Amino acid sequence: MEGTPKNKTLIIRNDIDELNRLVMFLEILEEEWNLPPALVPSLNLALEEALSNIIFYAFEKGSENEISIDFSLKGTEMTIILTDGGKPYDPTKKEDPNINLPAEDRPIGGLGVFLIKKIMNEVTYNRVDNKNQMTMVKRWN
Amino acid sequence: MNITTQNTGDGILIQVEGRIDTTNYNEFESAVNEVLKDDVKQIYLDCNGLNYISSSGLRIFLTVQKKMMAVGGKLKLFAMQPAIKEIFDISGFSSIFSIYPDMDAAKQG
Repeated sequence: MEGTPKNKTLIIRNDIDELNRLVMFLEILEEEWNLPPALVPSLNLALEEALSNIIFYAFEKGSENEISIDFSLKGTEMTIILTDGGKPYDPTKKEDPNINLPAEDRPIGGLGVFLIKKIMNEVTYNRVDNKNQMTMVKRWN
Repeated sequence: MNITTQNTGDGILIQVEGRIDTTNYNEFESAVNEVLKDDVKQIYLDCNGLNYISSSGLRIFLTVQKKMMAVGGKLKLFAMQPAIKEIFDISGFSSIFSIYPDMDAAKQG
């Protein structure tokens, strides 16, 4: 059975309150796919950081758009693909913050993409058919 | 999210429960700003019930730390859940905040 991937998709609007639907969706996924308890909060965090960037910056203000989130589980590897029709934006190009700076010198913000890269094993970006496609892979034991 | 504040004599104790994320971080920000208005010299932040934080929440923690440092005050975090501590570690926040196991240790520290 482990060889058969499981797939599920969530589609949200570009509205920040839709993140609450993500939380509920992940709770269901955790139960249905029997995921390890520590995994879902990490996935939630990586997804929130990625999706909030898309919701706040990818689209014209006031426009209604959809973002699709495809989950695929194979054994102990989860692949999540985010697809949006917004402005081209490659988050993997964002420079990492210097996390060794003292509090006085730390800029406020700039941690979102860094957290995604730290949580996920792989983060890649592609522009496909005029859409942003961000692929994140998480593996566990 | 649930936030309560109380006077401890030597400062203010803030207890935060639940999630601080992009959908609700402004509630946390307002509550903390309310505390900062009164020229407080010591803030104890009880993180025992905090079970999720994203970068939106982390930026408020950093803002408060900067404000407290600027006025010679202290921000003390305590009783942080391991998963939250891990995010602080990843972000480099563990070295810029004073984090204690419990309120007693925070009082003595």
